[in-house]
Amino acid sequence: MTAILETEDVKKTYRMGEVLISALRGVTFKVAKGEIVAVFGPSGSGKSTLLHILGALDRADEGKVFVDSIDLSKLSDDELADVRLRKIGFVFQFFNLLPRLTALRNVELPLALADFSDKECSEKAREVLKLVGLEGRMNHRPTELSGGEQQRVAIARALVNDPSIILADEPTGNLDTKTGFEIVQLMKRLNEEKGQTFIVVTHDPHLAEAADRIIHLKDGLIEAIKKAPRRSNQ
Amino acid sequence: MKLSKIFAMAWESMTQRRLRTSLTTLGVVIGITAIIGLASLGEGFRSQIKERMQTGFELDNLTVIPGSLFAGLSRERFTDEDIQRISNISGVKVATQVMQIGNVTLYNGNKKVRAFVATGVNFTEFVKVFPDRFIFENGKLPEGDRNDTIVIGYKVNHPTENETTPFAVANDTITLTLEVLQPSPPFHKPKNYTFTVAGTLQKRGTPGITNFDYWILMPLETVREIYKTQESDLIFVKVYDPEESERIAKDIEGLFPPFKVTILVPLTLIRQVDRILTIVQTFLMAIASISLLVAGIGIMNIMTVSVMERTREIGILKAIGAKSRTVLGMFLAEAALIGIVGGLIGVFTGYGLSYALAFMLSSFIQPQQHDTVFQTPETQRLTIKPVFSSQWTIIAFTFAIIVCIIFGLYPARKAAKLDPVEALRYE
Repeated sequence: MTAILETEDVKKTYRMGEVLISALRGVTFKVAKGEIVAVFGPSGSGKSTLLHILGALDRADEGKVFVDSIDLSKLSDDELADVRLRKIGFVFQFFNLLPRLTALRNVELPLALADFSDKECSEKAREVLKLVGLEGRMNHRPTELSGGEQQRVAIARALVNDPSIILADEPTGNLDTKTGFEIVQLMKRLNEEKGQTFIVVTHDPHLAEAADRIIHLKDGLIEAIKKAPRRSNQ
Repeated sequence: MKLSKIFAMAWESMTQRRLRTSLTTLGVVIGITAIIGLASLGEGFRSQIKERMQTGFELDNLTVIPGSLFAGLSRERFTDEDIQRISNISGVKVATQVMQIGNVTLYNGNKKVRAFVATGVNFTEFVKVFPDRFIFENGKLPEGDRNDTIVIGYKVNHPTENETTPFAVANDTITLTLEVLQPSPPFHKPKNYTFTVAGTLQKRGTPGITNFDYWILMPLETVREIYKTQESDLIFVKVYDPEESERIAKDIEGLFPPFKVTILVPLTLIRQVDRILTIVQTFLMAIASISLLVAGIGIMNIMTVSVMERTREIGILKAIGAKSRTVLGMFLAEAALIGIVGGLIGVFTGYGLSYALAFMLSSFIQPQQHDTVFQTPETQRLTIKPVFSSQWTIIAFTFAIIVCIIFGLYPARKAAKLDPVEALRYE
């Protein structure tokens, strides 16, 4: 089992006015390539902080994070941006698409940032949008798309630079049950067809159960790591 | 991210906020319009004045006046020897002396006119100094050594514009009344002299101190004889190269004791005027530039608001891998585009404005109704033509872009420095 992501005793403390809040108090775990891992816990458990650190958006105060064997603690801000661009894809609860751009342009954005030519951007983005089942909605702006469709665009955008990991923050949190289920199915399909690794942060037990493993986080510490019943269900 | 892509995205973002973008750009347009308009109009004004001064003052002519404007004009006069010494200076083509008499009255039968300036000149030398001025309406330049010939200027010969018959034509015999100094009271005594008209001059209307329209010219020796002197009042010096006129003026000054002569050098005068015009123009441009600075502050203001509004967008861009300098570039590109578009439009409207202003100014400045000694209606009409200066165009355009980028720098840096986690959390 090759670890595509590895954390070693990651700690993070915030200052809220006078009070210091220990969001993460030493988190160590590994994620293998091709896994879907859920980080499960109540709000305030440090899920989002962990996600930001894994996604190179934030730095750990202590401990190490390796993405594809790259030690994130040693990278400059620009290098971290490059890791986000090439190694990591983000899917957010509120989709976070750029409202001014069409679905296609939103998906093209990471490619443009990675200096692909206009033609390559367009070709790759179309291909990925097709993969998430949006070939007919490419030229619509986010406001013209349903929540489920917007999240598909977000997944396509996360996927388009062939990242090592896709980090999803409550990806179904803003969707109705049926649409949420479809998004979960899409992630599973991408995992099975492309071997895409997902780390899903959620407080929704149904979503967590769709994963291979569930990391239970509480008060900034790993309470337990359990194998989910997903595979055996099939 | 490629620069072209950054600009494309900036353009897209601007066109999606049309009203805001156009209002911000309008500030730059007004600034550049003011700068270009004033520059082009000022340049036109300057060239108009220079052109007039150059036609008014023959640049290759120096006028030597006895005494100094600062030490009081002296009663000392020039001698033949002075003329000789000036003629010997290198670069001097010809030096000629002139005797001035002041008011005289001329009679031709029952016709009577007055001349403001009556001068005694050496015709052969004098013509060499002012070759373009002697265009005869009638008759020609006096020949030989005749001492009773006279040349009459146009305004003397045609005292009123509507007169059909001139005062005199060539070969008329006229009487000239002069005030001659007496050793005993009443000291001034009118005396009559008879002259033959050699020729009458065409209208020239040259502005400046030597407007022959108001002159009559007589042989120098005759005037000297009347006043019983061997001296003269003025020396006109013609030089080969106007550029050398300042050096020659210094040389002439060196021939006389300090403060004994004053030399009018048209080139110096024109240079001075040009310098003053440059100062005035620079001052106007500085005022115009203030409007561009105001536009810059407008850009800073709008962009700062825009960065706040787009905080989440910036967070998203950073989350998907945009570097800080890419975000900086996007905002600076917007500022630069405002500068480019505003600058381009401003250059066009600026020239438009200068033509409109020139037209208005030209029609406001009516020619004077009365002729003066120095000016005639022909020379008074002022038409300002704006001058297109590619140099100013480039300067103004570059200035617009630079101002926009400088004022865009603060909000752009603010955007670039945003913490992605904070930015994503921003509602």
